Amino acid sequence: MRKDQTLGAYLFSQGVSRRGFLKFCSATASLMALPPTMVGRVAAALENARRPSVIWLSFQECTGCTESLTRSHAPTVESLIFDAISLDYHHTLQAAAGHGAEAAREAAMEENAGEYLLVVDGSIPIGNPAYSTIAGISNLDMLKESAANAAAIIAVGTCAAYGGIPHANPNPTGAVSVSDIIKDKPIINVSGCPPIPVVITGVLAHFLTFGSIPELDELGRPKAFFGQSIHDRCYRRPFYERGQFAKSFDDEGARQGWCLYELGCKGPTTYNACATLKWNEGTSFPIGSGHGCIGCSEPDFWDKGSFYRPIAAGLWGSRDALLGAAAAGAAIGIGTALAARSKKKRANAAKETEST
Amino acid sequence: MTLLDFARGPALQWSMIILVAGVLWRLGGTILINAKKDLSKARKEHAVADGLKTIATRSLPAHQFEKNIRFQHFSGYAWHIALFVSVLFFAPHILFFESVLGFGWPSLPNSIILITAAIALAILFALLIRRATHPVQRIISNADDYISILVVIAPLITGILAFAHLGARYETLLAVHLLSVEALFVWFPFGKLMHTALTFPSRYQAGSSYGRKGVRA
Amino acid sequence: MSALDTISVRVEASSGNVRPLLHEIRHALQRVADGGIGTTIDLGSLPLAPGEEKRIEELLGSGELRAELDALGPTVLQETRYAGVWFVTHRNTEQEVVARFIEVTRVPELLLAQEVDMQRAVHELEKQLEVN
Ligand code: SF4
Ligand code: SF4
Repeated sequence: MRKDQTLGAYLFSQGVSRRGFLKFCSATASLMALPPTMVGRVAAALENARRPSVIWLSFQECTGCTESLTRSHAPTVESLIFDAISLDYHHTLQAAAGHGAEAAREAAMEENAGEYLLVVDGSIPIGNPAYSTIAGISNLDMLKESAANAAAIIAVGTCAAYGGIPHANPNPTGAVSVSDIIKDKPIINVSGCPPIPVVITGVLAHFLTFGSIPELDELGRPKAFFGQSIHDRCYRRPFYERGQFAKSFDDEGARQGWCLYELGCKGPTTYNACATLKWNEGTSFPIGSGHGCIGCSEPDFWDKGSFYRPIAAGLWGSRDALLGAAAAGAAIGIGTALAARSKKKRANAAKETEST
Repeated sequence: MTLLDFARGPALQWSMIILVAGVLWRLGGTILINAKKDLSKARKEHAVADGLKTIATRSLPAHQFEKNIRFQHFSGYAWHIALFVSVLFFAPHILFFESVLGFGWPSLPNSIILITAAIALAILFALLIRRATHPVQRIISNADDYISILVVIAPLITGILAFAHLGARYETLLAVHLLSVEALFVWFPFGKLMHTALTFPSRYQAGSSYGRKGVRA
Repeated sequence: MSALDTISVRVEASSGNVRPLLHEIRHALQRVADGGIGTTIDLGSLPLAPGEEKRIEELLGSGELRAELDALGPTVLQETRYAGVWFVTHRNTEQEVVARFIEVTRVPELLLAQEVDMQRAVHELEKQLEVN
């Protein structure tokens, strides 16, 4: 597809029928979590959409986000979306290497100044820039340079969105998120460790379709996917309401599919689309497979205590501190009481000697 | 650190330390300080039975005043029972107790807890209004009474809101609920909420000392 | 039988969403029957327990008409036991499901021949006539 061609014209030239296009649009609308009534608008917008240039930067990451994306069920709809964008730079996926790769990035930035979409996965180490470099350029410099002329930035994965695992206590590299550094560009956080692949493509599709940023929540995530908590949409919710909880992973309750709250499920405080979109071609999601949500799409999910500690249990430290407090309290109480007593005694004694 | 992390972490830890230390400080002090010898001749050597009896008899309204205090008395009972059921038998609460004590117990379904919590809240409101309007009660109430009611009513309201996901995001509601409970923990040893720990010992004390003097408690 | 089947986990669970969905379909159908507009429900947007999608499919059953469309992979439009209620399954060229809808309408839009396609068809037919 040529860059100046609209998506509609491109599909038409590929012999895709209008029916095929409408099917593509309803699948895309579903992908973007839009109500089916929006299909008409999606069709109108997609027809005239132009192919945006995308630069994808990978910083301190494990490539899990890219793996998630490329291992997505590669359905036509998603690959079409990839056809519909021009992925001009991506470490893992591009053919070019070395200077050629960097040249491609620079060329794309220059040609599409102000219009390209910057996608980032991984966090940025600011403790010492040398912790992570690409072609001798520190992540920090590359991010600043590439963000300067971007139309918008998509931070893919919890690392890019909130610092993620590199940011976890004690954060040896001084890892920070994209939004900690870039303040003057619209940033869409597509969090998750990794994010659900169709959520990544859904957000790309939104940008492609409407050329705009979707509505975001207070943590910068698209509301269409992160608007409701796992718990809000969990099919085990009726068990939660009835107070039927699995107490271990192999008890009768677990077999009956009861709620996993007591086993540490973080669903109530985690916002993501797993409960509806699910994973692996919509097969299942952790709770569907009997394991609680670990809260991977939330900031600092790694530092919120054990994945198996119930939310209600709190992180109140150790019993020793409480026992210490008990001992100290008792000691002070008894001490003051005894002191008061002996003072009184002394006073009484003094009184007695006075009167004699 | 998010508000919820703060509420679940340091705030919880410190409020619990203050609660435990404060309660033991006051208990230790109260038990030991009042050790003044009664010099009069005892009418009865062992007044233990009188002490225990008083714990029981004061659990019912005194005959003389029964007409006047019946409402107060029974609404007090209803309120305490509703509160205890809500606090002790809500599954997430039990998980909290379990994390502190090391053991748990069976829970009641959420629908029942919601009802008991609503009852507790309604009664406490009624009692608060009565306290503020009833001429006698108004005079004998001080700041301690109102603060104590406030730190109990706040967890009830925020707990119901968090349960129903009403008004804000769940993690915010949960954080506010925890913080309100932590406020209660901190206030507990220093105000009238301490009656939780002192009611029975002081009844016993009164009963046995009257008994010693041969007076009906 | 794989080893997985020996684990006695009850896969059927209930989200409590199936009945409300059927009610929604009933209301939508009444609307269409009264001459109103149709409704499309995206099954991907509902929190369903494992096995529930299948249950919905079984509850709705299959009716007289079944159409297959071959555009960017196969799509099956199956009229259910209830006239006017359609189960639409879109697959990609790798046969994987990309979206599922329940459409409540007289005829799903996708079955109608589309104007641009007809224009292109006219064009092609003309070319054909020229050749012969
Ligand atoms: S399993 Fe988790 S998300 Fe589902 S209802 Fe229970 S606590 Fe909520
Ligand atoms: S269920 Fe929770 S932990 Fe699992 S992927 Fe979804 S948000 Fe992450």
